[in-house]
Amino acid sequence: MDRDDRPGGEGPLLELTRISKHFGGVRALDGVDLTVSAGEVVALIGDNGAGKSTLVKIMSGVESPDSGEIRVRGRAVRLDSPRAAAEAGIHTVFQDLSLCDNLDAVQNLFLGHERCGPSWTGRRVRRHVMERQAQQILESLSVKLRSLSAPVSELSGGQRQGIAICRALISDPAVVLLDEPTAALGVSQRGEVLDLVDRLREQGRGVVVISHDIKDVQRVADRIVALRLGSKVAEFARDGYAASDLVGAMTGAHERHDDVRSEESR
Amino acid sequence: MTTSTRPPVAPAAERRTVVGHAIERAARMPRSIPVLVTLALIWAVFYSQSPFYLSFGNLTNLTLQIVTTAILSLGVVFVLLVGEIDLSSAALSGVCAAVAGTVVVTHGLPLAVGIATAVVVGMVVTFVEAQVIIFGVPSLIVTLGGMVILQGLLLVVLPEEFTISIAGTPLASLALTAVPAGASFALAAVGALAFAGYRTLLHRERTSTGSGGSVLRSVAAPSVAAAVGLFAVVFVLSRQRGLPLPVLILAGMLLVAWYWTTQTRYGTHLYAVGGDREAAQRAGIPVRRMVMYSFLVLGACAAVAGMVDSSRQLGVSATSGAGPLMLNAIAAAVVGGTSLFGGRGSVWSALLGSLVIGSISNGVQLLGLSTEVQFFATGVVLVLAVAVDVVLSRGSLLPGRR
Ligand SMILES: Nc1ncnc2c1ncn2[C@@H]1O[C@H](COP(=O)(O)OP(=O)(O)OP(=O)(O)O)[C@@H](O)[C@H]1O
Ligand SMILES: [Mg+2]
Repeated sequence: MDRDDRPGGEGPLLELTRISKHFGGVRALDGVDLTVSAGEVVALIGDNGAGKSTLVKIMSGVESPDSGEIRVRGRAVRLDSPRAAAEAGIHTVFQDLSLCDNLDAVQNLFLGHERCGPSWTGRRVRRHVMERQAQQILESLSVKLRSLSAPVSELSGGQRQGIAICRALISDPAVVLLDEPTAALGVSQRGEVLDLVDRLREQGRGVVVISHDIKDVQRVADRIVALRLGSKVAEFARDGYAASDLVGAMTGAHERHDDVRSEESR
Repeated sequence: MTTSTRPPVAPAAERRTVVGHAIERAARMPRSIPVLVTLALIWAVFYSQSPFYLSFGNLTNLTLQIVTTAILSLGVVFVLLVGEIDLSSAALSGVCAAVAGTVVVTHGLPLAVGIATAVVVGMVVTFVEAQVIIFGVPSLIVTLGGMVILQGLLLVVLPEEFTISIAGTPLASLALTAVPAGASFALAAVGALAFAGYRTLLHRERTSTGSGGSVLRSVAAPSVAAAVGLFAVVFVLSRQRGLPLPVLILAGMLLVAWYWTTQTRYGTHLYAVGGDREAAQRAGIPVRRMVMYSFLVLGACAAVAGMVDSSRQLGVSATSGAGPLMLNAIAAAVVGGTSLFGGRGSVWSALLGSLVIGSISNGVQLLGLSTEVQFFATGVVLVLAVAVDVVLSRGSLLPGRR
């Protein structure tokens, strides 16, 4: 072990090198590199179909890459199942939220991380413990629910998103991936989610945020990685860019003629 | 909540949300309530035709008639909960009964060995089915094929005369044994105390985290209700010869199943797999294993149902597990409120649904009506139940949901 295991240590928490992924004839990712360090928020931007979600799915063990290497705290890992990713300390909030509609808020929050009694009880769920923790976590992120025991299919889009995000706090992950966490939210809830991202960073976690919203990205990101048609086309450090640079990188105007950038991005 | 300015095209949208709210309210109501109302209606209709319908004797009869269906239906509920379907378990119950009969009657081995062998055979068969389903073949096809294969297997297991007579053998004692009235009331008392004890435990846990309600509402009232219900049922069913063993077997299985599905982590995972497989998988739940567990439960239920049934019929034959048993078991689960789309329902639906279907056929036979009436009535109830299921599980996704 020549690497430091503590968050905040030298090397990056998560390191992807030359990741490629094909879906049939579609080249969704083509040799993409990405690193995330402890206490750092990396924003992934790119147009629709750029490969952002695919990259997130690879980091979360839902898809496996055709080629490339993934290292967690310097150690090469195979993330061939969501469980493997969870064990490696990577938690993902998916674009589709991945909630079970028939389960209630508490069950969804703790899904796969239930607080249970000993094995002689058949792993009896300690509902009262989960309910209290759920209340605290939901409150800390200002997610307001009328009932903790109503199926989440009855909740609003914003409430569902809130629950999906709160899940990131249940298992104490080292890296949190958020795929379009603000897409379904109103202005105030959006601010709360971005505050949450800040809080995750303060806790020393590594965060990857996908967003289409330039303002959101500027607000939270320490580093911005732009994907286009499956390749990494640009990387910006905090404050080292203008908004138009981001739009240019996303739309590809950037690569062609700098002068039409503003027209194409409108 | 969202303060975006909406264009004023409200009327249509509003009407839809009114319907949506009604559906949501209906969806939140326990699914057992409409079933109980249906049951009450059926009982009222038949009682008005023949007062004997609700006599102790006939109620005991009715209960014994539905036990096989209810036990099999319990297995079907597990499979429906994870979003699969099964058509083979009735045929499997026949095979398991034949296996038990061969072991106990033909070879003269102890009853326990026969029961264990039958349960193992049932679970091995459903294990194999589950493997094929997990491999990717739809469960409808796998279990349809399984049903045909098992019908053939039954003929292989049965001796040359295609029947095993069970009368006078230890297997017959399954149905014949009855717990005397005194002991059954003691059992009811134990059950009521256990219920109150568990309620108290839950209440204590809640108050320890500061979310407990009043003792009256969360412990005392439900416990009294449960005790009254238990004693009433035991009183009715033990009037004749005492509490029949098959009823106890069913009650025990329902209790274990209730605990497993609603109180444990596995239960939550079972519902999660039925609700959204992808989401469950992403949460790290072993989806395939949960599907397999459900089928193993089904195999065990089929074996028990087969043995109880053969013990009541005093024999196993080539027609064991044939007839309307499979359809009744599935219909019972659905009528009882378990969704065909997975993830919604409860183990009680096996009991309630079997009661509804059994009450219809019992009444029709009692009044000496023709069998068509029974088929028509059962069919109508089934279609209504599925319609309710579709509206509740699909309809509640309609208004403004993603
Ligand atoms: N399961 C799949 N099967 C086939 N093609 C896929 C699959 N998933 C993604 N793709 C393709 O890979 C490419 C990248 O898709 P991806 O979902 O990663 O884009 P994205 O950047 O997340 O877009 P969006 O902003 O719309 O969410 C697209 O061309 C898409 O059609
Ligand atoms: Mg995407």
